[in-house]
Amino acid sequence: MSLAIDIVLAGAVLGGMYALIAMGLTLQYGVARIMNLSHGESMIAAAFGGLWGFTAFAISPLIGLLVVIPVGFALNWLLYEIVLMPLVKRAKNRAMLEVDSILATFGLLFVLQGGMLVLFGGQFNTMNYLSIPVTVLGQNVALNRLIALLFAVIIGTALYLALTRTRYGTAIRAVAVDPVAAQLVAIDVRKTSAFAFALGGALAAAGGVLIAMFTTFTATMGVVFTMKALIVVIMGGLGNVAGALVAGLMLGLAETAVARLVDPGLTIAVTYALFLIVLLWRPTGLFGRPAR
Amino acid sequence: MKPLHGLALGAALVALLAFVPKVASGYQLALGISLLYFTVLATAWALFSGPTHYISLATVAFFGIGAYTVAVAGEFMPWPAVLATAGLIGIAVALVVGLSTLRLSGIYFVIFSFGLSELIRQIVSWYEININRSVGRYIFMNITTEQIYWQLLALAAIVLLAGWLIGRSRLGLALRVIGNDEVVARHAGIDTTLAKLAMFAIGALSMTLTGAVMAPRWTYIDAAIAFSPLLSFEVVIMALLGGAGSLFGPLLGAVPLVLLFEVLSANFPSYFSILLGIVFIIIVYMLPRGVIGLFPSTPREVPSAAAPPPQAAPIAAKGAPLEVQGLRKAFGGLVAVDDLSFSIGRGELTGLIGPNGSGKTTVLNLISGALSADSGAIHFKERDLVRVSTHRIARLGVARTFQLVRVLESMPVIDNVMVALAFRRNPLTGMQAEYAAVALLARVSLADKAALPAGQLTYIDQKRLELARALALEPDLLLLDEWLAGLNPTELGEGIALIRSLRDTGLTIILVEHVMDAIRSLCDRVIVMNVGRKIAEGPPASVLADREVVRAYLGDADA
Repeated sequence: MSLAIDIVLAGAVLGGMYALIAMGLTLQYGVARIMNLSHGESMIAAAFGGLWGFTAFAISPLIGLLVVIPVGFALNWLLYEIVLMPLVKRAKNRAMLEVDSILATFGLLFVLQGGMLVLFGGQFNTMNYLSIPVTVLGQNVALNRLIALLFAVIIGTALYLALTRTRYGTAIRAVAVDPVAAQLVAIDVRKTSAFAFALGGALAAAGGVLIAMFTTFTATMGVVFTMKALIVVIMGGLGNVAGALVAGLMLGLAETAVARLVDPGLTIAVTYALFLIVLLWRPTGLFGRPAR
Repeated sequence: MKPLHGLALGAALVALLAFVPKVASGYQLALGISLLYFTVLATAWALFSGPTHYISLATVAFFGIGAYTVAVAGEFMPWPAVLATAGLIGIAVALVVGLSTLRLSGIYFVIFSFGLSELIRQIVSWYEININRSVGRYIFMNITTEQIYWQLLALAAIVLLAGWLIGRSRLGLALRVIGNDEVVARHAGIDTTLAKLAMFAIGALSMTLTGAVMAPRWTYIDAAIAFSPLLSFEVVIMALLGGAGSLFGPLLGAVPLVLLFEVLSANFPSYFSILLGIVFIIIVYMLPRGVIGLFPSTPREVPSAAAPPPQAAPIAAKGAPLEVQGLRKAFGGLVAVDDLSFSIGRGELTGLIGPNGSGKTTVLNLISGALSADSGAIHFKERDLVRVSTHRIARLGVARTFQLVRVLESMPVIDNVMVALAFRRNPLTGMQAEYAAVALLARVSLADKAALPAGQLTYIDQKRLELARALALEPDLLLLDEWLAGLNPTELGEGIALIRSLRDTGLTIILVEHVMDAIRSLCDRVIVMNVGRKIAEGPPASVLADREVVRAYLGDADA
C-alpha cells in the first residue's frame, strides 16, 4: 500500500511537470502549427534563470516565476515574430510549415544548447530549495516536489479555464481547429498564433523553474524533455490541452511505476513501448479526434 | 546527357575514387569514409522519404542494428555471412515496422520512427547492462581502414545505381504518386502499402549495411554510440539540404555538411553546436528546395500529339454491369447510405441524383473502395467489391473522378495519365505509354498542355485531366462525381458531348450530377436518393416530375 502511495505521489509530481511542458508544446504545435524542437531548451534556459536568481540574489524560485514567465512569454513571442514568421509566410500548406519548422527549430536547439553550454558549462546543477521532508499519507515527500506539483496544477487549471471560458481562449481553440475558417469569423490568426506560441513558451519556462526546484539538470537535457513532451502531446491529441494534462500525468505515473516495480533502467524503454502501442492503436492519440 | 554516358561517367568516377586510399593520408582517408557513409545514409533515406514525404528518424535504428550485428556476430562468422545476417535483420525489422506504421502520416510517423530508435537503444542498453553485465562490446576484426573505404564506395555506387533504376521503374513512379496524393494513387491501381513497404525496406537495408561496414571503425561500441539519435537528424538535414526529391540531392548535401562539421569541430570545438545551429537555420531560410533546387530542371519531353503511331490504343471499353444490394454505410450516428439497392446494365449511362447530403458521393466512394461498406454487396465482374481493396477495384476496371478535383499537382500533365496506364490490368510503359497518354489527352483536348505541371492547369482543365486519367485505366465502369459542375455553357456542351461519346463506346457510366440539363440529355435512367435511401428510379422525364422527388429537392410547398 505504501508503495502504491509512493508511486502515485512521485508519479504525479513527475507527470505534472511533463503535463506543463507538453501543454506548452501542444499550444505551439496545435495552434501556431510550429513543431518546436527547441521547446526543451526554453525550459532549461528558464531553469538556469531560476537557479541564477536563487544563488546570486537569494530570490525564491516561486517569486522568480513572476519574472521568468513573462520573460519566457516575451522571448518566445519575439522568436515567433522574427525567426519563424518568414517560414509561416512562405509555407504553402501545413505540411510545408511542419517540415520547415522542424528544421529551423532543430537548428535553434543547437544554438540555444551551445549558448547555455558556453554560459553555464556542462555540469549538473541543483538548487536545493525547500528540500524539507514532509509526511503525506504516511510517506515522506520533499516539500519542493509538493509545491512544484501544486503550482503545476494551478497553472494547468488556469490555462484550461482561460482556453474554455474566455473569448480569447475560444479564438485560440478555433485557430487550432481550422486557421482558415477562423479568419472567416474575424479572428486575427497571425496574432493569435503568435500569442499561443508565446504562451506555450511561457509554460515551458514555468515548468523549467519548477523542475529546477527539486531535480538536477544540465545544459543538454532539453532534448529529453522535448521528446517526452512530444510523446505526451501526441498521446493526448494534437492541440488538446486537457489531453496533454491527462497524458502527462499518465506518463509520469507509468515511468515511476516501472522504475519502482520493474527496473529503473527500463523506464524509457517502457515509455516508448507504451507510446508506440498507443500510436498504433489510436493514431490520432488517446483524446484526438478520429481521422476519417 | 544520355543515360549510358551518365553510367559510364559514374563508373569512371567510382574507379577513380577507388584509388584514393593509395594516395591519401590517414586523416584524409578518415574524412573520405565520413563522406561516403553519410552519402549512403542520406541517399538511402531519400530513396523512401524523398518521394513519399514520410520523414523518418529511424535511420540510426537500422544503422545501429547493422553495427551491433557485427559486434555480436563478427567474431564467429565469416564477413559476408555477417553482412548477410545484418541485412536480413534490417529488412525484417523494416517490414514489421513498415507494416504497422506506414499508415501513420505526417508528424505521427516522424515521432514514431524516432521513438522506435530510442526504444531499440534503450532495450539494447538495458540488455547489455543487466543480462550481459557490461556496458558495450569490443570489436576486433581483421578489416583495414582501406577495406572499409572500398566497401563504402561500393555501397554508395550500388545505392545510387539502385536509386537511378528505381526512379525509372514503376515502383519509383508509384512512390512519387503516393507523395503527391495517396488517394489518387490507390484509385489509379497502385498497391500503396506494398510500394511503401518495398521502398522502406530497400532504404533500411542500405542503412543496416552501412552500419555493419562502419562497425570495425570503432574498436568499442555500446548502445549510446551505435544508436545515437543525432545521426538520424544529421542524415535528414543532409538530404534536405541537398534536395531529397532527386537522386543526387542528398550527395550534394552530405559532402558540404560533412566538411563543415569537420571544420567546425576542429577549429571551434566549444562553439561547435552554436555554429552548427546557425548554419542549419541559414540553410532552411536560404535554400528551401535544397542545393539541387538551384539548378534549372529540364522540362519534360512529350511526344507530339500530331502523329501518334497506329498502335496507340484507342479506348477499348467493354462495359460491365454493376449490381448493388442492401448497401449501408454509417458515420457514427449518421447513416449516409441506407439499404440501397440498384442494378446497372452493361453500357448503360445512369444518373445518380439527389439533394446535397443525400449520400451520392458516399455511394461512389463505396463502389470505388475509398470507403468500405458496413453491410451489403456490390457485384461487379463476379466479385463482391465490398471486400476488395481500392487499387484492386481500380485494376478490375472501375475508374472515377473526384467531386473536389484531385490531380497530382507537382507532376506533369502527361505523367498524371501515365500513372494509370502503368498500373492498370494490362499495363503500358515506355514510349507506348507516352503515345497512349497523349492520345487520351487529345481526347479531352489537353494534348498541347501535356508538359505543364498539372497544378498550373485551370480548374476546368484539371477536371479534363482527371477524366483522362480515369479513362487511362481502361475502365468498364466509370464513376463521374459532379464532373460537369462549374462549367460555363460552352464547356458544358462540350462536356456533355464528351460523355455521350464515351457512352457510345460501350462504357458503363454512373453520373452523379446536379446539372439537370445534362441528366435529361444524357441519362437512360436516373436513380434518386434522399437521406441515404433510394426514393425513385426510372427515365429522367418521369422521375424528375415525381412528387416525392420534387419534395426532396424543393420542399413540401412546391410538391
